[in-house]
Amino acid sequence: MSARASIASNSTAAAAIAVVAIVAGAVGSLLIQSNLLMTLMTQAVISAILATGVGFLIRQNGAVSFGHAAFYGLACYSIALSPKLGLTSPEAAIVLALLLPPALAFLLGLVIVRIPGVAFSMLTLAVGQAFYEFAMKARHATGGEDGLAVNLPSTIFGVATNWFQRPQSMFVICWIVLVVTVFGLSVLVRQPFGRLTAAIRENEERARFIGYETVFPRALVFALSAFVVAVAGVLFTLYNTFVSPDVLHWTLSGSALIMAIIGGPKLIWGPALGAIILFFAKDIAGNVTEHWQGIIGLILIVVTVMLPIGIGGALARFGWGWRWRSKADA
Amino acid sequence: MLVQLLNGLVYGGLLYIVSVGLVLIFGLRRIVNFAHGSLFMIGAYVGFSVAALGGFWGALVVAVIVLALVGAALDIIVLRPLQREDPIVTVLVTFGILLVLEDFAQTIWGKDFLSMPVPSVFAGSISIFGESFPLYRLVVIAVAALVAAGLSIWLRVSRIGLYVRASSVDPMTTAMQGVNTDRVSLLVVSLGTALAGLSGTVSAPLLALSPSMGSYILIESFIVVVVGGLGSFSGAFLAAIAIGQVHNLGLVYVPWGATMIPFLLMVAVLIWRPTGVAGSHT
Repeated sequence: MSARASIASNSTAAAAIAVVAIVAGAVGSLLIQSNLLMTLMTQAVISAILATGVGFLIRQNGAVSFGHAAFYGLACYSIALSPKLGLTSPEAAIVLALLLPPALAFLLGLVIVRIPGVAFSMLTLAVGQAFYEFAMKARHATGGEDGLAVNLPSTIFGVATNWFQRPQSMFVICWIVLVVTVFGLSVLVRQPFGRLTAAIRENEERARFIGYETVFPRALVFALSAFVVAVAGVLFTLYNTFVSPDVLHWTLSGSALIMAIIGGPKLIWGPALGAIILFFAKDIAGNVTEHWQGIIGLILIVVTVMLPIGIGGALARFGWGWRWRSKADA
Repeated sequence: MLVQLLNGLVYGGLLYIVSVGLVLIFGLRRIVNFAHGSLFMIGAYVGFSVAALGGFWGALVVAVIVLALVGAALDIIVLRPLQREDPIVTVLVTFGILLVLEDFAQTIWGKDFLSMPVPSVFAGSISIFGESFPLYRLVVIAVAALVAAGLSIWLRVSRIGLYVRASSVDPMTTAMQGVNTDRVSLLVVSLGTALAGLSGTVSAPLLALSPSMGSYILIESFIVVVVGGLGSFSGAFLAAIAIGQVHNLGLVYVPWGATMIPFLLMVAVLIWRPTGVAGSHT
């Protein structure tokens, strides 16, 4: 099979999996009667989109960000503050919330993607926290730490707004967005752009020597990961209709990062899996102990050291090992 | 005005003690300790508890010893086994330690803010050119100055100091010259965490103690280290003093934007010199 045909068949297979996943999610949600469970699952899926954005940056740029809450929170505040800035149409506010974070990330990326490894992590942490400090201080606009309520009209994009607030319907919407995001990113990484950024991640110097420009593609990946995170922020705001500086705090960036690491950032779907596992683990642990933070710290240490491929990577290796092996033999 | 400059020096001095610990550890192990702020926090709490029993001096000594032991354990259990891994692995592991330590502090000392009284020996204010200034704050400046002087003499004069400087330029070559970098590292990491403990205890009477107090100082000291240049002792000193002044003058003259100024300064420095003012490692 030629490489091109193989890419096409892989994409068809991925599309088929995506359709099945969407249908399964929608049907599954109909079977669940518990409102509490649906609420939890909706939040889990929004976190999964957030983690997917953070994980994509690790996968594609090899860069670990401690500051993606900045882009998530910026999307939230874009919707919340639009009416105050004279942007009365909520549809326009949502478009702004989706475009502003990646645009900013791109500009920022041109400066900071050159900075390697650990220093990049330190910088993203500091830059992310600057947004938090700003939201806390700009009290007249953001309401400071009290946060502010988001007023939405009765329909958005022709959809009744309460669809975004009822867990049953919102879960399906978020699930579709998650599946489409994961599908879109898995197609993208097989394109020349995906190959190029992977090459830069592996050896930036050589990619440069072959004649590729290496800052621009990495800034694009950074912007794309910010876009995915902004999508999660928009969904969160529509669902919650309330925004406070917590959405910008570095602990949010940190927990998204932990989800991505535990799920397995080498896989596009790994971070989402990590998010869902951690969300339910947190809920169960919350009933038993108050030491969730310590537990998650220990889990992070253990997974980082003993299982760098993450839970998703382990599943892929052991569960589907036979498939990979048979391919390798062929 | 003089009072403002002194206040900036207090904050800059504390930042220096925390940041130079980060620089020491980075020099030997080429990693950034994300748990450093939590060690500062633990230092403050240990100081708080011991001060209630054994007075301020006792608190200072105990906090420094406890944190030095924690640093030794950190080096032996975490940093040494991970030294061949990608530095980002150590970042994630120390981030995990940060979460565990915050949970630990919350369990022992609770979530509520605690405040430690200024030690009675240094209570009250003195008059400097007609303006009154709290005596304890002068003590903080003196401690920071002693640390800076002590460290720079130690690094220049002693044999270990020579190893540390060599290692922070190139750990591999230094090891090849026959220096036991593991042993030097054990000492240096302990020293770095002991300094975090020292600054925690010294700043406890000036701050509200809470389990999350460490992350604020961690982020500020990251800014110092990045602006000064990762791995540079003099860079950290200059950057800490500058950021202390900028932060404090900002609080007085542009209160709404004060917390943003260090960040803006950092971004400006990075655009101007991506490796920091005095650095070559970033």
